[in-house]
Amino acid sequence: MKQVNATVVSNHELWPGAYLLWAQAPEIAALARPGQYAMVRCGEGHDMPLRRPLSVHRTSLDGNVAFLFAVVGRGTEWLAQRKKGDPLDLFGPLGNGFDIYPSSRKLLLIAGGIGIAPLVALAEQAVATGCSVTLMIGDRTATRIYPDRLLPSGIKTVVATEDGSLGMKGMVTDLLPKFIPEADQVFACGPLRMYQRMAQMSSELRDKPTQVLLEVVLGCGVGACLGCTIETRHGQSLVCKDGPVFELSDIVWDKAVAPPAGRRYLRK
Amino acid sequence: MKSPDLSVQLAPQNSRGLRLANPVTTASGTFGYGAEYAEVIDVQRLGAIICKGITLKPRHGNPQPRLVETVGGVLNSIGMENIGVDSLIREKAPTWAGWSVPVIVNVLGQSTEEYAELARLLDGVTGVSGIEVNISCPNVSAGGMEFGASPEAAAEATDAVKANTTLPVIVKLSPNVTDIAEIACAVVEAGADALSLINTLKGMSIDLASRRPALGNTGGGLSGPAIKPIALHMVYQVAQAVEVPIMGCGGISTASDALEFIFAGASAVQVGTATFTNPRATLDILEGIKRFMEKESVHQLSEIIGAAK
Repeated sequence: MKQVNATVVSNHELWPGAYLLWAQAPEIAALARPGQYAMVRCGEGHDMPLRRPLSVHRTSLDGNVAFLFAVVGRGTEWLAQRKKGDPLDLFGPLGNGFDIYPSSRKLLLIAGGIGIAPLVALAEQAVATGCSVTLMIGDRTATRIYPDRLLPSGIKTVVATEDGSLGMKGMVTDLLPKFIPEADQVFACGPLRMYQRMAQMSSELRDKPTQVLLEVVLGCGVGACLGCTIETRHGQSLVCKDGPVFELSDIVWDKAVAPPAGRRYLRK
Repeated sequence: MKSPDLSVQLAPQNSRGLRLANPVTTASGTFGYGAEYAEVIDVQRLGAIICKGITLKPRHGNPQPRLVETVGGVLNSIGMENIGVDSLIREKAPTWAGWSVPVIVNVLGQSTEEYAELARLLDGVTGVSGIEVNISCPNVSAGGMEFGASPEAAAEATDAVKANTTLPVIVKLSPNVTDIAEIACAVVEAGADALSLINTLKGMSIDLASRRPALGNTGGGLSGPAIKPIALHMVYQVAQAVEVPIMGCGGISTASDALEFIFAGASAVQVGTATFTNPRATLDILEGIKRFMEKESVHQLSEIIGAAK
């Protein structure tokens, strides 16, 4: 992990309220694994004391790292306004990242909303190592679905929208009974309620090795402040350091709570 | 010009003393047990490390959410999650014994007896250079702040620790009181070698979506730049009232913040929330203080401690 003075390379609104930001940060790009994150300093001075943890969305061989984020509050509002050439203070890569088992050949990736962010890096890595990848993407409506042209080639994509404007109508979780049985390993990133639904699936589906990426408010990112402690079946774990990726079956889901919605609630 | 002398003696009345190479330390609860940041900064360059608050038995802490950001501040309700004093002595102290930076252990008891027991257990432990008595945690139902709220109880906890250790004893005060100078005088009277102030201020935040408190434990402790003027004023007040060294704490994010506390009467500073914002904050502050001293031809830190009186 390193604290890096990065430079914004580009920052575009990919769909309303979601931004794709590339920054030059060779120290982080060289080390980051899919599922890891960087703590991004937001705001000027110290008006926003907590860095925002953002999953590594992609990395490039020339030392750039991409973040895909939804504008949900003050920090991401500030981040959305960064322009090419602006400085960006990054601390990372942090956390454990996803773990593709050596025996896994067929991977199922499940993205709920902005949860697509870390799964694109994972899909790229999986394809590069010869795995077959099915990526399921779900959101409210077609305009919020990650553009096909930015996805790595060689993967199968399944889209679900709640209003039926693209792909299947409904939630991605509705489609899981059809897709999970064929997969060797499952990876998911999405809101807490998606994980809670997955944890309530039939035992046959639940027993498939499934890794999920958790979101809580983080303080330090290194296991020092204990702000992100959660209950697992093996005792307490730190999302920042032991996670953010956990086995679905390890989490005590009825004790898990989503981060406070804060200002994002007024945006709805 | 010779490079300035930043060293401070935090426990001049104590036979073991507590000499820091410089005045920049880490506030308890923001720096884990010290090793967490060892990969990020050279922790040996710090004046001291004050570790996460420790209790007799391990504690699980409070339910999530435990952190909420406010404007210029952070509310936390960690709830003293810690490994317990036995594990601390067994697993953490041996690492500290190999460090040149002094480590001060923050202790929290639920009763006077527990403070006494914690002091007794830590007394001879290699790697432990001092005890910070936490009578100011706002996030536990028993102990902590209830000791810090009255001069009598604060003195009792201090006395219990002092009677059971020869280690330098720093007492960390709560700002959630009517007259902090009165509490300060009581714990100094009870033998405190030094004081640290302030701990967090009680506060809360409410989530619009759930219409419920944003923190899992309803209320929490506010830290960060938002509380700096309050902390600074309290340090200034207490510095007029007591003779023992003071560690200033509360929203210190930059060298100029730290210098303000030193001018107000602090011999050392504790940096907490700023480390989350900038993992290098402590060392940046140290460099800034040094630059200031060079620029202003200050040869020894003691020349400027309490300059604002």
